[in-house]
Amino acid sequence: MSVNSSWKSNLPLYIGAIILSIIFFYPLYVLILITFVPAPLNNLSPYPPQIPPGFTFYNIIQAYSALDLTGPVTRSFYVAMMVGGLSLALGIPAAYGLNKIGVRTANKFIIFFFLINMMPGIVVAIPISVEFLKLGLSNMYGVALAQELVVLPLSIFIILGGFRALPRDLENQARVDGANLPTTMYRILIPMNRSAILVAFLLSWMTSWDEFTYAVIISPVKSTFPVQLYNYVTRAVSFEASAFALTFTIPVIIVAVVLQKYLKSQSFTGGLSS
Amino acid sequence: MLKSHNLKYIAFIIPALVYVSALSIFPAALSVYRSFLTPGGSYTFSNYSALLHYGLVKALIDTMLVSIGALILQLFLALFIAMIMVKPFRGNRLFSSLVIIPYGISTVVSAFIFSQIFSAVGGYANSFIVDFGFRPIDWVATSSSSLSVVVIADYWKNTPLVALILFSGLSGLSPSMYEAAKTDGAGAFRRFFSITLPNLAPIMAIALLIRGVSEFNIFALPLVIIGYNPPLITTLIYEFYQTSSTTIYYSYAASTILLFIILGYASIVLWKGGAKSYER
Repeated sequence: MSVNSSWKSNLPLYIGAIILSIIFFYPLYVLILITFVPAPLNNLSPYPPQIPPGFTFYNIIQAYSALDLTGPVTRSFYVAMMVGGLSLALGIPAAYGLNKIGVRTANKFIIFFFLINMMPGIVVAIPISVEFLKLGLSNMYGVALAQELVVLPLSIFIILGGFRALPRDLENQARVDGANLPTTMYRILIPMNRSAILVAFLLSWMTSWDEFTYAVIISPVKSTFPVQLYNYVTRAVSFEASAFALTFTIPVIIVAVVLQKYLKSQSFTGGLSS
Repeated sequence: MLKSHNLKYIAFIIPALVYVSALSIFPAALSVYRSFLTPGGSYTFSNYSALLHYGLVKALIDTMLVSIGALILQLFLALFIAMIMVKPFRGNRLFSSLVIIPYGISTVVSAFIFSQIFSAVGGYANSFIVDFGFRPIDWVATSSSSLSVVVIADYWKNTPLVALILFSGLSGLSPSMYEAAKTDGAGAFRRFFSITLPNLAPIMAIALLIRGVSEFNIFALPLVIIGYNPPLITTLIYEFYQTSSTTIYYSYAASTILLFIILGYASIVLWKGGAKSYER
């Protein structure tokens, strides 16, 4: 596996990479087509062309003027922020504690968290929604509280991986120098572990942005972006819905590409390699 | 001494533990309990027998078929992707980014795109088929073609995660193993089946566990693409869900069945190797 392999020996590799790239890019290409090709040439024709026959901003302008965009965007944004914040508020202490107790005990807790995570969303969401209705939480707060359930185990796992990578003596030295636990945490442990914490926050944020099941069951009206999009799709306003979908996809694609290098490097192995 | 030392740190974990339990174990127990109740509050099995009448068995079989089909497709694609991602070549970063993008795309957006690709009139899949001179297909006409559409649509968002998991497994394999096999004269296929696959098996079990459970819970994708026709177990639950109506008790009953299937599946996979490879 030398880096300087010749073009010829890499040919099957490149063919495979190109085919897979096409398979994974094609759906996004379709979204762009529906958004930017004039509707009469496109999804109103029985067999829409694969190569764009025309170009227009009309669909986007139409979508922005006809559909309510700002409401779902702001709601989704606040919910995602709450979910990300809760992940850190609950995840950092939990990861700190798990790092301190033995690896074997910690792994038992991790397995428990991930088992809980397997609980089917829809099974849990219906009773939660019934109880939240009584508590007056059938709103964005309720959605955020429920979505936290989905992201917390992975957040703890990722932050724990970061803590495990720090030198053990770091905290002891700070304590010897007279710092108490909150100061050590705030001044040393959290800043030193910031990349794992950032990854946990962004992953929680993205998951919440995308989450549909809890959102549609707990707050079916005046809800987050995915629920609103679902409502538009069922009303069959496809080219407007596509403009809507594309607008929300672009920022997330950027986050995903930024996350890619972190995801590849540490997050999935960090907690495992002790 | 050591015990009390540990206890102090367990206190840091307790908020997360309590949170997770209060919002999952408690509601799940509530669901199981209420599935045996009538709206009036007396005990009954009628919710379950009503479900049989509404096509519970077919929904379960369909869910099983979709899960198995999607798992096979995703593992297959992800293995290819991971094997390309570990190779150093020009364009590796571009390739990795392109393949990872769908992971960030909302399930509802992805479902919307595939509903446009597979719509009977004005669908992009059909325009391909017509370009090659075949007759267009009505994708949602039969139950089996609808299910196939769901299986195909599911690869896009979920393969990247499987690929990342397999990638982390592959990059852990030592190159010296491959060098040794090469000097011993093992060809590319032999190396794949004798080194790559066996060494990747534990991490594949983890990927299977994570994806298998979410496949069984697949909800937004079938809801947007095929609606309730045919229903999977999750869309069946949702169909009966009405906070103001008595049919919610059917939802509880179907939820209980789904819950026990998931618990059964998870314990089988964990028992067969997932937990062991994790604790190592």
